[in-house]
Formats: sequence, structure tokens, C-alpha cells
Amino acid sequence: MTAATIAPAASRLLRLELRHNAMAWLLPVVIGLFWLTTYRKDMAMPPMWNLRAAGLQSGAVLDFAVPVTGAAAWMASREVRHRVTDQVTITARPRWARLLAPWVATTIWAMVAYLGCVAVLYGVTAHQASWGGPLWWPAVVAAASLPAFSALGFVLGTFLPSRFTAPLAAIAAFFLLALSTELIHGSQSAWQISPIVTGPWDLGPQAGVAVFYPFAPDLCIAQMTFLVGVTVALLGVPALPAGSAGRAVRLAAACLTGAALLAAGTAVGLAGTGTMDAHGMIDIPALHDAADDQPLRFTPVCSDTTIPVCLNPAYAGFLPATTDALAPLLNQLAGLPGAPDRILQVGVTYQQDTGNGVIIRQDGPRSGATPSTAHLVFPEQLPEPSMTADQMASQLAESFAPDLVARVIGNGRGTSQAQNAVARALLTAAGLPDVVDRTASTGTGRSDGPGGADASGQPDVAPGTPAYAAAERFAALPASARHAWLVQHLAALRAGRITPAQIP
Amino acid sequence: MNVEITGLTRRFGTVKAVAGVDLQAGPGVFGLLGPNGAGKTSLLRMMATAMPPSSGGLRLLGRDPGSYGPRREIRRRLGYLPQNPGYYPGFTVAEYVEYFALLKEVPPARIRVAVAAAIDRVELGDRRKTRLRTLSGGMLRRAGIAQAIVNEPELLLLDEPTAGLDPEQRVAFRALLRDLGQRATVVVSTHLVEDVAAACAQVALMDRGRIVFHGTPDGLAARGDGGHSGDTPIERGYSAVLAQTRS
Repeated sequence: MTAATIAPAASRLLRLELRHNAMAWLLPVVIGLFWLTTYRKDMAMPPMWNLRAAGLQSGAVLDFAVPVTGAAAWMASREVRHRVTDQVTITARPRWARLLAPWVATTIWAMVAYLGCVAVLYGVTAHQASWGGPLWWPAVVAAASLPAFSALGFVLGTFLPSRFTAPLAAIAAFFLLALSTELIHGSQSAWQISPIVTGPWDLGPQAGVAVFYPFAPDLCIAQMTFLVGVTVALLGVPALPAGSAGRAVRLAAACLTGAALLAAGTAVGLAGTGTMDAHGMIDIPALHDAADDQPLRFTPVCSDTTIPVCLNPAYAGFLPATTDALAPLLNQLAGLPGAPDRILQVGVTYQQDTGNGVIIRQDGPRSGATPSTAHLVFPEQLPEPSMTADQMASQLAESFAPDLVARVIGNGRGTSQAQNAVARALLTAAGLPDVVDRTASTGTGRSDGPGGADASGQPDVAPGTPAYAAAERFAALPASARHAWLVQHLAALRAGRITPAQIP
Repeated sequence: MNVEITGLTRRFGTVKAVAGVDLQAGPGVFGLLGPNGAGKTSLLRMMATAMPPSSGGLRLLGRDPGSYGPRREIRRRLGYLPQNPGYYPGFTVAEYVEYFALLKEVPPARIRVAVAAAIDRVELGDRRKTRLRTLSGGMLRRAGIAQAIVNEPELLLLDEPTAGLDPEQRVAFRALLRDLGQRATVVVSTHLVEDVAAACAQVALMDRGRIVFHGTPDGLAARGDGGHSGDTPIERGYSAVLAQTRS
């Protein structure tokens, strides 16, 4: 065979193998699995590229790797199962090259299906996402896992050919992937090399990661190196036994297998040196690019409310619901002394706690870098279950509104009954009675003193007290009257010189 | 000589399946006869390079199959139909033959013609697009022969090629054997001595791993007499040689 004849012969062989490959029959199953366990989950999350991309590793790898391992094992064991071993053994094409053809076909089918699924997922995300672009690293890692698992099945099917090899190989692949993460403890573990790990395993996919700071591909690079190394090493193994190929090919395969194992081992070692950074990603010192630590530049999207609410453009889809939830309160606070000029969404920082815990804090001071700016963190940026825009806006109002009111009316130890009454009235008038009532009914409002608000700024006003009556009175006033009274008496109120009885 | 065998032995544990066989064969059809367990299939598998010998000398097409390079060259020019050929049920006849043409490294430009010719020679032209799983046993055997001859082998090894063929197909197959034997060495292992009589120029009879007769079919027939079982002279010769060997 010359070089001129190898390519056409290989392409004809590949065409035959593609036509008769078990993976082609498994595609409906694989696509169904992807839709059920990855696509639907991803679509339930906010349309942010980081979340959608993470789903490709944490979901699609399992969806595709398990069937492709089984299919590759099935194809590799085909000669023994169909008793054609003697017929094919006596052909001129080297055993290794002959066996490689069904592996290539299996991998192509899996890859085509995977790329189709990625195209759909990213296509839909492109229509939904308000900012940013596709994160390719996670998609590439997931893609690289397909040849690796296909090669694993291929080797198992080649050396342990039987009708049971394929199902057992598929089951083994599933447990290998599912259990590999069980050994991850904290953020520093070589097991993070598993292709289903997208970042700090204890943290899971986070909406806030790779939004305020660039995506750090350190772990992805290590995973890619590992997967490519494993693939090459596994594919080289069938070429090693005597008679599988010529001396030169066997020698090359031995060198390649050794080098690939070395690369894979190095990648595992590198993954073991990774730690979670403040931005919720894995930093591997040997691979880390300092440029990834610089915050992303973006122009916030702002509402046209009396106090503008400005969000990271990735969260632009949440702006209308957020505005609707906060606007009634913002209208009351606008123009008052101490009220912010704008509300700005900020990122969070992550810190590995002891064991598998992760501490998440707001990035920067809670009150804002400047007195005129209030900082807010979306619930979605925290490890919370996924929410709809309305749910998130509601939760945001619940957590942020009392803080904002407390910032204007005054908070901390020694807060007067009058301050609490006015705070409660403002929240009630803003249509957030749930916040107030929940606080009252659950008793979460831990008193800091005779009057007092709790640590989170929730006004603590017990029914039947003069402060409660004052709050009811003040909330019933027209908005303009409330505002006028606050403009005139806010300084005295904050100084504790107003009693509940003096509140109109 | 396309086949040169000296003192060839193959052991399976303590059993000697082939025990010091000497054989030479040039172009033409060579019949390999013998009862069950005589060692025919083991000898054929060694000649097909599917199994290495335990000891002895084996040269095929002037090359030593013990080395990778020459073995590969031999395999390019080799055709082999095992006793129980396997097949991929989802393949069509044409795909099955094409698959083996590709494995035998038939030049890509010639594959289409070679596949069509091989299928036509076994008279499966009207079934070329039929999946193997739907073929009868005889048709599968013919498809197996087609894959064996698709590379126009210089050495063709057929183990029980007529098993499952109907009488008409067997007659046609004998004609095909004679035709192939014009240019190639065709070794046919069979129980059916009439096939040997009709198609083979040379015949060897194996028993207990050894060649107990080597000559022409007429020579084998001449060894028999009325005292031995068989309906035809060659069958009686076959029985006579075996009886003589075992006595």
C-alpha cells in the first residue's frame, strides 16, 4: 500500500464501519438522555453561558460517555462474537489498523451527536443570553472525553471479547465517572481531573462564576491533557502485542503510549495542585494566567427607576422583574438623605472552608464603594436552587429591601421603636408586607434592644405595640405625605428623637 | 512451489494435531482428504497464517510467514475460507466482500470491479444487496468463497467449501475450482471425495496428523479394491489407505 492508496482505502473502510456501527443505533437513546438530564436542567437555569457550559461537562459527559464506551466495546468484540477472527486475522491489513476503524466510526457518531447537542444548547442560549459568548473550554473537555471513553471500551472489547463486555464496560464507565468525584475533598484534589468536574466540586455550577471575572481554563487544560493522553495511550495498547503491526509501528506505539501516559500523569498531578480562587474557579499555578484575575469590563444595564438599579449585563433578563419588585420602595426612598443614587450588582468571593464547606461573601463593602452606591448580590449568585426571574426578584426584595430601608432610616444597635415603625411602614407601603409579616410570625427579628431591628435589618415591631400602630398609620398615608414627613424629620428620626406617637 | 512444508507440527497441549507433515504444492487444485480429527483444519490454519506451527518449516509463496513483513506480503496474496466462516449479519453480500477486499489491501481503484467479479463468480450477483442474515446456509458459504477470492489469491485455502451447497452449486463450484487452479494453488480440504476426484490434480490423505497418501486422485482410486467400503473407486481407495494405515 502506498500513501496514495491508503487514504481512499481508509475512507471506504470507514464508510462501511459508519454504516454498521452500534453507536448509530444508540443515538436516539443518547440524545434522549441528553434532553432529559442535561438540556432540560440547563434550560431551567438562567440563560448564562457559564451555567449552560458547565452542564456540558456535568451532564453531557455522562450522557455520551457511558453509551459510547459500551458501543466501542461491542464493536471491538465483534470479530470474536461473529466468529470471523480467522478470516480477518489472515488479511494483510495490520490488526491494529483493522481494529481502529470501528473505533473511529464509533467516535465519529458520538461526536456528531454531541456536537449537534452542543449546537442546539448553545444556539438556544445565544438567543436567550443577554451578554457574553459561548464558553468553549467546557464544551471541548466534554468532547475530548468521548474519544477517551470510546478508547476505553475499544480496549476492553479487544482484550476481553464477549457479549457481556459491552454492558459491563458501559456500567464500569458510569461508575468510574460517578464515583471519581466522591474522593474529592475540599478544593485541592487530583480527582478533579474527572471530566465531569467543572470547578470546585463542593460549589457546583454557580451563576456568579465567570461573570465578573474571566473564565479560568486551568482545570480544563489539565483535563484536556489528561483525556488526550488517556486516549492515545489506550489506542496504542492494541498495537503493542507481537503480530499486531510491524516492528516500526509497534515501537512508535510503545513510545506514544509511554509519552501519553506521562502526559496524563502530569495532568493528574497538575489537577492536584489546583485550588479554588476567590472567583470560584480552580487555579492551577503552573497553568494559571494572571490576566484571568482581572475583573471583566462591562457596562451595567440600568433601570429607569427613581434610584437606578444597575445589573451586570449577563443578568439583564432579570432587570424588569427586579425593577418591578423594588420600584415601589425606591420611589419612597429617592431623594431622602442617605438614600443611594444607584444600586449596583456586584460579584461574590469564594473561600474554601474546612472540610467541604465554601464561604461566600459579597465582593467589596456591603454599602458600596461610595456612599451614593448600594451594592446588591443576586440570590442566583449564591448556592441556591435555580429560580424563575419572578422568584428571584421576590427573594431579592426580601433580602435587599430591609437592608436598603435600614440604610436610610438607620439601623444597628439601639434602633428606636419609631425607626422600626417607619421601616415597617415603608416596606408595607412598597408592597412587601410578606417581608414584615414573615419576620413577625417566625420571630426571626431578634431584638437588639428595647426597640431594635435584627441583625439583617428586618424591622422588629410586635403587633399591639405603639410602634405597630404607628407603622400602620404611617403606611396608610399618601406616598407624597410620607415622603414630605421623612424629608423633614429623617435626621431627628435617625437621631432617636422621634417617638412612635409623633409619627403621623 | 507455492507451498513448501517440512516436518510441520502443531501441538495443542499434549495432543499433536499435525505431526510432522511434509508437503509441496504448486499451481493447481490440491485436495486434502481425511476423517474427522485428522488434522486437516489445523494444517490449513497454519498454511493460512492464522496459527503458528509448533515446529517445522513452512514457506508460502516463496516467503517465510514467521516474520511480520513476509507474512503480510503472503496475506495480500492469500484467500481463506474457514470450516465455519463467520459473517457480520448486518452487512450486505457486496459490503461483506468489499470489507475483505479492503482488509486484503486490494487497490482501491480495483475494489469495485473485484467485488463485482467475486460475487458473480459465486453466482450471487442478484443478491449483492441482500443482508447476510437473510441468506441461506449455502448462499452464506458462497459469500464466504467470494470473500476468499476477491483479491485473486495466488494461494487459496478452502476448508469444506462445498458443505451446504446443493448439487447444482457443487458442480458449478468444481468448475470454479478448476478455473482458479489455472493460476493459483488451491488447497481444498473436504470430506467429499467425489469433489476431489472431479476437481483436484493432486490429493493428500491425512490421518492422525500425518499424510498417509500423496498422489493423484487416480492413484488413490487405484489403492482400493472390492473389499473396502465406498460407492466409487476413489472412496474405496480412501478406505483402503486408511485401513492399511491403521492396521
